[in-house]
Amino acid sequence: MAEFRVRRFDGKKSYWQTFNVPAKKGMTVLEGLYYIKENLDSSLAFRASCRMGICGSCAMRINGKPRLACETQILFLGDRITVEPLDNFTVIKDLVTDFEGFFAKHKAIKPYLIREDVKYDEPRELLQTPKELNEYYIFTLCIKCGACYSVCPAAATLDGYLGPAAMTAAYRFCADSRDKGKKERYEIVSSSNGVWRCHLAMECSEVCPKNVEPAKAVQLLRRRTAFSILKSLLGW
Amino acid sequence: MESAKSVMEPVAWILQMLTGLIMVVLVTVHFYVTHMISHDALEYSAVVERVSSPVFQGMYALLLLVVSFHAFNGLRAIVLDTNAGMRSRGTINVLTTLMFLVAFFYGLYLLISI
Repeated sequence: MAEFRVRRFDGKKSYWQTFNVPAKKGMTVLEGLYYIKENLDSSLAFRASCRMGICGSCAMRINGKPRLACETQILFLGDRITVEPLDNFTVIKDLVTDFEGFFAKHKAIKPYLIREDVKYDEPRELLQTPKELNEYYIFTLCIKCGACYSVCPAAATLDGYLGPAAMTAAYRFCADSRDKGKKERYEIVSSSNGVWRCHLAMECSEVCPKNVEPAKAVQLLRRRTAFSILKSLLGW
Repeated sequence: MESAKSVMEPVAWILQMLTGLIMVVLVTVHFYVTHMISHDALEYSAVVERVSSPVFQGMYALLLLVVSFHAFNGLRAIVLDTNAGMRSRGTINVLTTLMFLVAFFYGLYLLISI
């Protein structure tokens, strides 16, 4: 048996509730939550989809650290599990948080290839060498689970801060040899709510379930942005 | 979402790094001169004599400039990390710039009038 201590929220008040779950070897925290929902309390709310660490829906704070519930085995953590919603997000119900602002920030950095010479009705191949691909490949692995954002101290104190996930996506496209929209993105990420607010706490890289290293992306983006603006100032 | 063409943030970031590096060098020189050359380096007469020389005056003026900038630009960044600070961004920028200038020129006045 594993004891699940779940922080719940009913729209008005937050409280803790404890459930006993029969844990077997290999059983994940997400399976434990499904067990609770199906057998103990059907009102428990949580978000999940793929169950294989791809969609990023089931990110939650498990034993004090943001993790994917579908990739975290119960017995790996012991027989006492604490489950809470992600920090830095507004809780809607129980473990379900509001991602609207998070995705709005992601959308704001224009997370797509910007080119004037490509038309949807006349698609053409954009060639790239393996070396060019490796420049940004690691940053394409982000699943937008929000784990990085939930531990970011800058996101905790400033609502408008773009956050590590959005800036990782911005760097991913700025480092892509096929992209021609670097200047547009540099302007967005060099705003007061952008790269300058990062304190390099590096917790985002520490908790990323895909080892994407958002902190590295933000620092690389900061350097690129600063020198791009400096060059334009000096007329180079 | 704000789209700023402002050059203030990147320039402030680059200057924060540069002033940090300059501070490491100048503070090392300062500590070397005041603690490692002579046991009497911190006596009043020795301090006045040292600070009266153009070379040390120039070095301390530069140290004062980089320390004042680094400190108040750092303070500006900390305040802008909060929602309240970001709402009054313009005021914070002006205030911290003024504080930097006052600290620098007042320090410079004291340095020259020794």
